[in-house]
Amino acid sequence: MRCKKLLKYAAGISAFVWVAVLFIFCEARAADIGNCLLCHKYPGLSRIDENGDLKLLFINESVFNNSVHANVKCEGCHPDIKKIPHENVRKVDCMLECHIIEPSSEKKFSHKDVETFLSRSVHSKIDKEGKPKKYPEDYPDCKDCHDNPLYRPLSFFKKVRPGISEIVLGRCRVCHKKDEFIFRFYNHITTRLHAIRSPKNIAEVCAKCHEDPALVARHGLSRKAVSSYAETFHGKAANYLSEGIPDCLNCHVNIGESVHQMLSHKNPESITFKDNKIKSCRMIDCHPHASAKLAKYDVHPEFDKEKSPMEYYFTAFFLILTGGTLLPLAGIMFLDLGRRLFSRKKEDKE
Amino acid sequence: MKAFLTKLYIVSFMVLTLFFMVLTWNLTFGKLIEEQSRRKSDDQADSLKALADGKEEQSFKKIILEGDEKVKHYLGYRVLEEMKLEGHFHHIDYEMEPDNRSTCVECHGDIPHDAKKEIRAFGNMHSAFIACETCHVRLEGDQKTGAFKWYGRKTGEIIPSPIKEDLAPGFYHAKIIPFGVIDGKLQRIDTQSQIDFAREYQKSEKTLSDPQKAKAKKIIHKFVAEKAYVCEDCHRGKDSLLPFENLGYSKKRVDLLVSSEVVGMIRDYTKFFVPEMLHPGLSETEAKKLEKQ
Repeated sequence: MRCKKLLKYAAGISAFVWVAVLFIFCEARAADIGNCLLCHKYPGLSRIDENGDLKLLFINESVFNNSVHANVKCEGCHPDIKKIPHENVRKVDCMLECHIIEPSSEKKFSHKDVETFLSRSVHSKIDKEGKPKKYPEDYPDCKDCHDNPLYRPLSFFKKVRPGISEIVLGRCRVCHKKDEFIFRFYNHITTRLHAIRSPKNIAEVCAKCHEDPALVARHGLSRKAVSSYAETFHGKAANYLSEGIPDCLNCHVNIGESVHQMLSHKNPESITFKDNKIKSCRMIDCHPHASAKLAKYDVHPEFDKEKSPMEYYFTAFFLILTGGTLLPLAGIMFLDLGRRLFSRKKEDKE
Repeated sequence: MKAFLTKLYIVSFMVLTLFFMVLTWNLTFGKLIEEQSRRKSDDQADSLKALADGKEEQSFKKIILEGDEKVKHYLGYRVLEEMKLEGHFHHIDYEMEPDNRSTCVECHGDIPHDAKKEIRAFGNMHSAFIACETCHVRLEGDQKTGAFKWYGRKTGEIIPSPIKEDLAPGFYHAKIIPFGVIDGKLQRIDTQSQIDFAREYQKSEKTLSDPQKAKAKKIIHKFVAEKAYVCEDCHRGKDSLLPFENLGYSKKRVDLLVSSEVVGMIRDYTKFFVPEMLHPGLSETEAKKLEKQ
């Protein structure tokens, strides 16, 4: 009996030790070899720069550890910082090679390929002839679209915690020994199995430029892309945080290619070219048996006679029909109620 | 009574019908009219802005009021809502509550340090959890008590130490304020009468003459020391200005705050290159190697 009790205690203690070790591993994930967080962990570390912009120098360690860059040392992106106080700090160059080895090529990891993809895309600052496009400052840099990407595991348990399966982690532990590695690898894979941002967040990123009236006017873009998307069924579902509907990238990026290589709708190789649009509609997750006519549906309708006449007249018709029916009906009800009110008064007097 | 209730019943139905009519109007014809007028104003703005060739109007509204936007990241299992900072890469996920007590902040702002490039960010970092008076007022003689307490940023009230084992440093939502002997009583040095005086000045500033303004400013700033306390006054092993342990800091935190890591960094600040001691876990040679790289 006593032996059983002892065993119970031992099991309890070992479970506690295991949890503690796991906790320590999780805490030790930060790649802060330079001890930069000695100062940068404080939320108030900031200043107002010469242009009146807030420069926040705070790094939230727990959020950073949950990001895809958690394993990258501070010096990996800020190699010029060697001195305190930091002097003439250069802008981060995302094309730098960092210390991580890319396993398939066994070369140092870099985002250099993204630059190549971007140079071929409609968002490149350079035109086909290698000359700078008009208004080059309007074309996006890395940080215009990206902040530090956070892990977003594939499933969410009751929408309150990431759906990290202990059963799957147990399978990982059969071969892999470090919980830190398992945690990171699991998160990396499950995050990459779906979009790292929700459709609503993706639309918001595109809206930074594509809803800017000045930019839209300068580049002669025909539509305000995001507000018109929000008018459609897809956009409305995105607004309600649906994850199962297409976002901007699903329709504007050639299937199987980098999102950075977005082509103009005038380019016959582009998925948004008039004859190719149906391919994105027919993706297995969307409308696999759709007829070619589906692609003719205007996914960026605006309430505008010139741009979307069909949608304009349909919407106007239904608005007028609804208002024209319900308002007179309510008016008649109001008058009828008034008559009853006053006739009662007369009866009372009699 | 019955007649009155019937009338009430009919009137309430009339109100409901009116409400329904307004709602229907807003969703139908109102929407049509609003959409048309929005489009007209958008078109005007488009043409004006396109003419301006990208140079946007720099108004107070645009820069200051609209600059306080929030952004939400939908992670599926939580929504991370944070301040929107254009071009900021790292996530913040921390809401700095306004300091509702401090009258200094009302004029000087929450990020007041700007003059000295070398220490401005450190100054601002400390001002997130240390009241201005802690460094900028030097209590002398009988007034000096060595007592310091925490007050909540939101309420301004004195609170128990917010420091907890699982709370990251600086995430306190509270500030340290010195206590002194004022009018024969031990009290916080930002007294209510001083606060009332400063707020009254702010309210009536526009109506005051220049000499009146100068006089008021002199009175408001009369406690401000010519030379503020400096880093070493707190970050030292002996006779630290702040009684860290009384303020609720753990022994481990106190050791770090007065450690050679922090104190040494401060001492050698102007000629400081990231030393080996800032590479925990690495041997001296490894750290040197890393620096060379």
